[in-house]
Amino acid sequence: MSGRADSPGPLAGAGKIQDSPRRIVHIDMDAFYASVEQRDNPDLRGKPVAVGGSAARGVVAAASYEARAFGVRSAMPSLRAARLCPDLVFVRPRFDIYRAVSQQIRAIFADYTPLVEPLSLDEAYLDLTDHLSGRTATAIAQEIRARIQAVTGLTASAGVSYNKFLAKLASDQNKPDGLCVITPERGPDFVLTLPVGKFHGIGPATASRMQAMGIHTGADLRAQSLDFLTRRFGRAGHYYWNISRGIDHRRVSPDRIRKSIGAENTYPADLMTLDQVLDALIPLAAKVWTAATRHRIRGRTVTLKVKFADFQQITRARTLPQPVASETQLLALARDLAATVLPDPRGARLLGITLSHFDSDDGPAAQLDLFGDPA
Amino acid sequence: MAAGPKGQGKLMKFAIERAVLVKAVSQAQSVVERRNTIPILANVLIEARPEGVSFRATDLDTEVVDRAMAQVDRPGATTVSAVMLNEIARKLPDGALVQISNDDASGRLSVQAGRSSFSLATLPREDFPVMASSEYSANFKAKAGLLKRLFDKSKFAISTEETRYYLNGVYMHVAQTEAGPMLRCVATDGHRLARIDAPLPVGAEEMPGVIVPRKTVAELRKLLDDDDADIAVSVSETKVRFATAEITLTSKVIDGTFPDYSRVIPTANQRKLEVDATDFARAVDRVATVSSERSRAVKLSLDQDRLILSVNAPDAGAAEEELIVAYADDALEIGFNAKYLQEIAAQVDRDNAVFLFNGPGDAALIREGSDDSAVYVVMPMRV
Repeated sequence: MSGRADSPGPLAGAGKIQDSPRRIVHIDMDAFYASVEQRDNPDLRGKPVAVGGSAARGVVAAASYEARAFGVRSAMPSLRAARLCPDLVFVRPRFDIYRAVSQQIRAIFADYTPLVEPLSLDEAYLDLTDHLSGRTATAIAQEIRARIQAVTGLTASAGVSYNKFLAKLASDQNKPDGLCVITPERGPDFVLTLPVGKFHGIGPATASRMQAMGIHTGADLRAQSLDFLTRRFGRAGHYYWNISRGIDHRRVSPDRIRKSIGAENTYPADLMTLDQVLDALIPLAAKVWTAATRHRIRGRTVTLKVKFADFQQITRARTLPQPVASETQLLALARDLAATVLPDPRGARLLGITLSHFDSDDGPAAQLDLFGDPA
Repeated sequence: MAAGPKGQGKLMKFAIERAVLVKAVSQAQSVVERRNTIPILANVLIEARPEGVSFRATDLDTEVVDRAMAQVDRPGATTVSAVMLNEIARKLPDGALVQISNDDASGRLSVQAGRSSFSLATLPREDFPVMASSEYSANFKAKAGLLKRLFDKSKFAISTEETRYYLNGVYMHVAQTEAGPMLRCVATDGHRLARIDAPLPVGAEEMPGVIVPRKTVAELRKLLDDDDADIAVSVSETKVRFATAEITLTSKVIDGTFPDYSRVIPTANQRKLEVDATDFARAVDRVATVSSERSRAVKLSLDQDRLILSVNAPDAGAAEEELIVAYADDALEIGFNAKYLQEIAAQVDRDNAVFLFNGPGDAALIREGSDDSAVYVVMPMRV
C-alpha cells in the first residue's frame, strides 16, 4: 500500500475501487468520563468510580475499570451499581470538561485525515485510505494514541481494519490502552466465534431474539440465508448478513448529519399528576432548544418519550408543516403530546423530548423578516 | 338568553326539516373544539321557543347561534353532541321531517325521521356556558360583500406561529387615509402582509381596533355568501359580533397589540414591474416544481421588459421561465418564497399586478393596477 501513496499516478485514486481494501481506524477513549475524573482528582485513582447520579433513580453514565471489575456497567441503575460495589464512588458528570477534551482529540485526528466521523465525544472513525503518506494505518493509529496520551493524559484504544464494523470490533479487543488490527485475511473469520450481542448494530433486544432462534455466534448468523434474515429483521437483515461475513460498505462520513436532538430525565419519584409532568417538561424543552440553537438546527417533528414506572415505554410524535420556531412552541407541543397519554396510574418514571426531521434548507436561502426580528 | 325557558321538567318537542337542521347544526358543530377536555363543549345547546329553535355552540372563545324555522309543539332546551347530531342530520334522507323531543325520564334526546330513530345522551342545559353579553362601543351595518373582500384578501397572510399570537388574526380597524377614513383589515405573518381598505360604514367611526382570530375569520366566511345581505357588526375592546337574521357569531378578540405595520410598508420603492397576474402565478408554479420542498425559493431576474424566473436546487435540478413584462428600471435580481408570490398573485382580481421593488434585501410592494385599496408586502429571501 505504500507503493500507491508514493506514486500518485493514474492509480492514485484506486483506493476507491471496492476490492482494494480501505484503511479504517476506530479510536475509542478508555472509560472516558471516569478516566477524566480520575485524572483531575488523584484521590479517585485506583478506586472504583462511577460518573452519574447516586440518587435513587440515578444511572451510571460511565464506570472506571476498577468499578467494572465488580460488574458495574454504564447505563446501570446507580442503586444496583452500589449493591455490586459497596465502595463505589459516585462523581457528578462535568460535560464541559469532557467536551473540551473531545475537542483536543478531534484536533489530533484532523492532522491525519479530513475523513473523521465522530460517534460521540469519545470515539470516532477515521478513513486513512488516501492519507497514509507512505506509512501504515497501524503506525498512524499508534501515533494518534501516543499523542492523545501526551496531550490529554488519557489513554485510548484503537482498532484498525478495512471497514467500520471490524475497526470498531477491533478497538474493543485489547482495551484499555491497546491496539488491534484485523486484516482482510482475518476479517471474515474474526466474527465467527463472537457472540452476536458483541456486534455493533445488534442491541440487547435483537440479540435475545436471535438467541431464541438459536443464533448465538457469528458462525450461527452466517449460517442463515439472506432471505431468512430480511424476513425476520427487515432491512437490518441485509446488514446482519454482511457483517457475519466481515463485510461493511458504510463510508466514513465526516458530515454525517445529525438526525435528532433530544433530552431526557429520570425522576427521583414517579410523576403522578399532569401538572408535575407539564412542569418537568420545561427544563427538557429548554435543553433541547438550547442545543438546537447552538447547532443552528430547525426541526419539524417533536417526539415525547414516556417511560412508566413498570418500564413500559411509549413515544408520541407530532410533525409540523414548518420547523418548530421557538422554545415556547416546542414546550407547548411536548405538553400537548403529554396530555394525550398522561396522567397514568402507573406514574411516569422518565420523560424525554426529541426534535427531529430537520429543515435542510436553512442555509443560504433565508427568508427575511418584515419586522426585523427572527421568525 | 336570560328569558329562555328552564329545561327541567319540560318536555321539549319540535319538528324541523332535515335541510334546515343540517344547515343550522353544521355551522354550530364547526365551532366545537375537536380536542377539548370539557365534555359539554362538545355539545350543541338546543333551545326551542314558540317562534323557532336555536342551536348554540361555543369553544369559550367563539360562540355561534343559529336560529332555524321549526314547528315547536312544546318549548324546552337541552344539550347533545354536536358532531353526532350533525352526522345524523346529514345521513337522513333528503326532504325528511325530523321529530326531535326530549324524554325527561331517560334524559335522552329522541331524534326521529321516517323509520329511523335515535336516542342521544344529553347534558343539562344549565351547565352550558353562554358567552356573557357585553357592551359594544360601535354598532354598524356592512354589506356581506364588503366584509368578504376585506377578510378574504387578507386572511392568507395570517400567522400560524403561536408564539406571535397577536399575529394569529386579522387586525380590523379604522384608518385615516388621503381618501378619507377607511375600514381596514391587515394581516401579516412577519414575512408578508396584506392591507385591504373599504369605505367606512356609517356608525363605525368610533370602532376600536381589534384582532379578529383566525378561527372567527373562517366562521365569519359562512355568513357572507350573499353579497347584498346586511351584516350587523358590533365591536368592543374585547369582543366582536357579526350577525345575520339567522346566525349570530360572537368572538373574543386577540388580547394583544398588533405591530405598527405602517412602518414596514415601503413608500419609496422605485423599480416598477407590471405583469399579468395569472401568467405570473402559473410561471412561478412551474419553476417552483424543482425547488426544494422547504425553502421554495424562486429568483426573479429583471431587465428591460423581461422577467426571468429561475430555481436552482442543487439536489433536485434547475428551472427557468421567461415572461414578457413591463419593466424599464435598472436590472435587479431578487429571491422570494414561491408560495408567497403565488398567494399574493391569487389575490389580484385585475389582469395586472404591479410590483414595486427597491433592492434585493428590501420588501417589495404589490398592488392591483393603480388601486391602493389592496396592498401587499412581501420580504425577499436571500438566494
